[in-house]
Amino acid sequence: MSEQHRDAFETRSRALFQDSVDNLDFAMRSRLTQARHAAIEAAGRRAWYLRWTIWTPAVGVTAAAVLGVALWVGSPLGQHATVADGQSNFEDLELVASSEGSGDTMEMLQDDIDFYDFADKAASPDPAA
Amino acid sequence: MSTPMDTLNTAWMVWDSLAPAVKGAVLEYTRELEKFLAEIERRAFRMAQVALRDSDDALDVVQDAMIKLTRNYASRPSAEWRPLFYRILENGIRDLQRRRTVRKRVMTWLPGPKEDPDNEAQDPLENVADAAPAIPEKLMQAEAMQRLEESLRALPARQREAFMLRNFEGMDVAETARAMACSEGSVKTHYSRAVHALREQLGEVW
Repeated sequence: MSEQHRDAFETRSRALFQDSVDNLDFAMRSRLTQARHAAIEAAGRRAWYLRWTIWTPAVGVTAAAVLGVALWVGSPLGQHATVADGQSNFEDLELVASSEGSGDTMEMLQDDIDFYDFADKAASPDPAA
Repeated sequence: MSTPMDTLNTAWMVWDSLAPAVKGAVLEYTRELEKFLAEIERRAFRMAQVALRDSDDALDVVQDAMIKLTRNYASRPSAEWRPLFYRILENGIRDLQRRRTVRKRVMTWLPGPKEDPDNEAQDPLENVADAAPAIPEKLMQAEAMQRLEESLRALPARQREAFMLRNFEGMDVAETARAMACSEGSVKTHYSRAVHALREQLGEVW
């Protein structure tokens, strides 16, 4: 088969195909258009969770919440509220309430005794005076 | 020093300024995609019709290919859409042909009237002659196209695919190779064999 014949064959077959495309009836064209619209719509419906309009408020609220938590944890108030090394706050309470003689408790008690001793002396006149 | 509320306000302002741009971009490529589909849908339909010999089946595979393209590949560069679309379309055509083959095999084993599944959905009105007088030239063209379609159906699938994509769709070798998921050398071989076989079947006078 010569190159010229081959080219002529290709040109003719292409022209015939294009002619058949151009002569598609109106009903089929309309069905194709409907199919296209349905495809675009179906793709849009499935990807609703990817739409920015839906994600905008959700992402905003989540970001605000994360930021709030980060700020709370980072603040001194947040640090006080946290429990270090798995210790319970009840242990702190026990230390304060404990009557076992720690240095601080005894010192506080000593201060009070001195005060009451001074007050007692000030209230009653010195018998030697 | 900025307060947490200032930081939040700034974040919202940045987001509000970005959101319309993103929405605009999505809308833009949806529009572009629809334009692309409108441009190729008729040729794609005719190619599917040539391969499947059934308008409804052809319409189904074209619509399926459209949906798959828009769902899975819409975000790809538009230059990739055409080979991707035709690859999806050809896969759909082959799946349908396989299902038909299985159905035919099952039908031969079942009792009852034998029906050709290819013709079962045929509308009897399609065979009624058109009232308008046919122009001889148009008739000859229609007949020539019919012969070409029959010859194309007789080709191996890969040769038919290469011929339709190169000749009917006007794709170059590289694009056809991407659509067929093979090398450019294979495309050239398939195409050359297809042209040779078609010329032999149709004769020199066609």
